[in-house]
Amino acid sequence: MRLPLATLLRLAWRNLWRNYRRTLIMLLAIAVGVWAMIAMSAFLRGMTDQMVRSGLNTLPGEVQIHQSNYRADPSVVNSMPPPDGDLLDALNQPPITAWTSRVRVPAMVSSEYDSRGVILLGVDPEGETAIGALPDTIVEGRFLSDADDRGVVLGQRLVERLDTAMGKRVVLMSQDPDNNVADRGARVVGIYRARLRSTEDTLVYAARNPTQSMLKLGSAVSEVAVIGGDYRHSESLVPPLAAAVTNMQLVQSWQQLDPYLGSMLKVQDGFTLIFMVVIFLALSFGLVNTLVMAVFERMREIGLMQALGMRPGLILLQVLIESVLLLSLGLIVGNVAAWLTIKPLESGIDISAVADGMEMMAMGTTLYPALDGRDMLTSTAIVVGLGILASLLPAWRAARLDPIRALAKT
Amino acid sequence: MKRLLMVFGLLASLAQPVQAQDAQQIIRQAMDHYRGVTSYSEMTMTIQRADWTRSMTMQAWTQGDDETLVRVVEPRKDAGNGTLTLDGNMWTYTPKINRVIRIPSSMMGQNWMGSDFSNKDISKNTDVIDQYDHSLLETREQDGHTVYVIESVPHEEAAVVWGKEVFTVRDDWVLLEQQFWDQDNQLVKTLRAREIQMMSGRAVATVMRMAREEKPGEWTELTTAEVEFDIDLPGNLFTLSNLRNPRQ
Repeated sequence: MRLPLATLLRLAWRNLWRNYRRTLIMLLAIAVGVWAMIAMSAFLRGMTDQMVRSGLNTLPGEVQIHQSNYRADPSVVNSMPPPDGDLLDALNQPPITAWTSRVRVPAMVSSEYDSRGVILLGVDPEGETAIGALPDTIVEGRFLSDADDRGVVLGQRLVERLDTAMGKRVVLMSQDPDNNVADRGARVVGIYRARLRSTEDTLVYAARNPTQSMLKLGSAVSEVAVIGGDYRHSESLVPPLAAAVTNMQLVQSWQQLDPYLGSMLKVQDGFTLIFMVVIFLALSFGLVNTLVMAVFERMREIGLMQALGMRPGLILLQVLIESVLLLSLGLIVGNVAAWLTIKPLESGIDISAVADGMEMMAMGTTLYPALDGRDMLTSTAIVVGLGILASLLPAWRAARLDPIRALAKT
Repeated sequence: MKRLLMVFGLLASLAQPVQAQDAQQIIRQAMDHYRGVTSYSEMTMTIQRADWTRSMTMQAWTQGDDETLVRVVEPRKDAGNGTLTLDGNMWTYTPKINRVIRIPSSMMGQNWMGSDFSNKDISKNTDVIDQYDHSLLETREQDGHTVYVIESVPHEEAAVVWGKEVFTVRDDWVLLEQQFWDQDNQLVKTLRAREIQMMSGRAVATVMRMAREEKPGEWTELTTAEVEFDIDLPGNLFTLSNLRNPRQ
C-alpha cells in the first residue's frame, strides 16, 4: 500500500491540531525564539556597522593609496606625487565613484594655553565632499571653502582643550621632509562635531595647498582615498588600482588598512551564528519534548497503522512532516514579528544613557539596528535544519514501535 | 587753524611709518643688546613651584640671532645636559643616555627643563623682530632713563599663539619687561627684569623672572652671574658633535 504524500500531510496537519494548546505553546516558543535570533542579530549588526563606519570615518576612504612606507611611518618623508597618467585613468573608471588626495601628517596645534598632538589633514574640500569624508556637523563657522583656504577647522573638544575659539589664531606645527620645524599660524574658521568625541580630538582639517607649502611638499600628497559602491566589498576596487600604481605605492582596502575593523565583520557573522544555535538548542528541548509526547500519546494508533501495513519509513516521515509544519508556522510568525518590530526602530534608538560606555566601543549615542535578509535566512535555515535533526529521534522511535506491543498499550 | 590741523594730520601720517620703523629698531636693538653678536654667560635658573623649588646653573653661548648653546653645570645629576638651537630647530643631549635627541615639533610647545619657558621661547626668541608688527605705545621717563613701551602684534600667519606682546625697553636697550597677551586681551605671562647691573660694559638685566598670571607664586627666575659680549667663539661651537662632546 502506498500512501500519497498529500494524505501524509493531511494526517500530520490534523495531528498537529489535536492538542491545539500544546501546539500553540510550542508555536509561541518557536516564534519568540526566531524573533530573538533576528532581533539580536539586527542589533549586533547595527552595532558593528556603526563601529566599522566610524572606523572608516577616521580613515577615511574605503580604499587608500599610499607610498609603500607610509603605513609603517606616517611621516611627511613618505609622501608621493599626486595621481597622474595610468593611475589617474584608473581612478576615473567605474566602479570607483569618487576619489580625493590629501596630506595627512602628525602635527601639533597650539594655542596660548595648551598644545596637543593631532593628525593634520590637508584636504581638498571638494574631493572630501565627494567621498563623504567631511566632519559630521559643523557647529560653528564653516568648513574650508576650497583647497587654498588659509583657515583651519578644529573639533569641538579640541577647541575646549586648547581654550581657543572660533576666529582665533592657532599655530600648526609639524616637520618638513628635511626634518626642519614647519609651522604657521592659522585662524579657526570652523568647529566641527563628530559622532565620536575622540575624533574631535584627533583630526584637524586644513586646506591642501597651504599645508603642502607649509610642509615644503610641493604637490606631493600622503594618501589617495577612493570610494565606490558598498563598503563591504571594497576589495574589488583594489586590483585595477594596484595595476596602475608604481612599485613605490601600495593600494589597500580598509579591511587591510584596519584589520581589526575587517575582522570585526567576520567575528560578528560568526557570533550571530553561534547565538542563533544557542537559542535553538534551548528551543529544541521543547520541540523534542512536544514530539515525544505526541508520539507517546498515539502509541496505539501508530501500532494500528503499522498492523494495517504502514511502513516504518512513512511513520517516520509523518512525524517529521508534523515537526516541519510546526517549525514553519513558528518561523513565519517569528519573522513577521521581527520585521514588524525592528523596521520602525531602524531610524535609531537613543542610548545616550549609556553613551560613555558605548564611546569606549567606538559607538555613538544612537543605536541603529540593521535588519538584514541574510540573518533572517540564516535563522530560518538553522531552525529548519536543526529542527528536523532534533525531531529525528522521536520520529525514529515511533517508526521502531513493535505493532503488537503498541496495540497492547492502553 | 584748519591749515594747521591739516599740517598736523600730514605730520602724523608721515610719522606713522617712521614710528613703526623706530619701534622695530628698538626691539632689534634690545635683542642685539641682550645677545650681542656673540655672547657667553653663566646663569642660574630657579624654578619656583607651590611645593618645590629647584635651581640649576648653566653656561650659555649665543651667536647671531639663531644659534644658542646651553649647558647645565649644576646640580651634579643634571650636569652635562645640553640644548642646542639652530635656525629654530632644537636638540638636547643627556649624558646619562648618551644620546642627542632632536626635539620634535610636537614637543616645541612644552616647557624647557621644567621651567616656565617653553622650548619655543628658548629657540625662537628673535623671531619677534620680523614676524610681528611693532608700534610704539608710549615713551616715558623713569629713573633718569627714557623707556619705550612697544606693542608687537604677530602677522596673520606667524607661528605665534599670542594675541600680542608688549615690550618695555629702556633707552640703554635693556629689556625691562615682556608681556604675553592672549587673543582675548588677557595677560598670560610676563618676563620682568628685577635687577639691572653693569656687566662687561653693558647694562644687563641680571635677574629676570617669568611668571604666569594664572599661577601666582610660581615662576622661573634667570640670574646672570657673568656675561661677556662679542667674544671670539670657536666655529664648531654650535654643532651637534660639540653638543655631545664639549670641547670648550
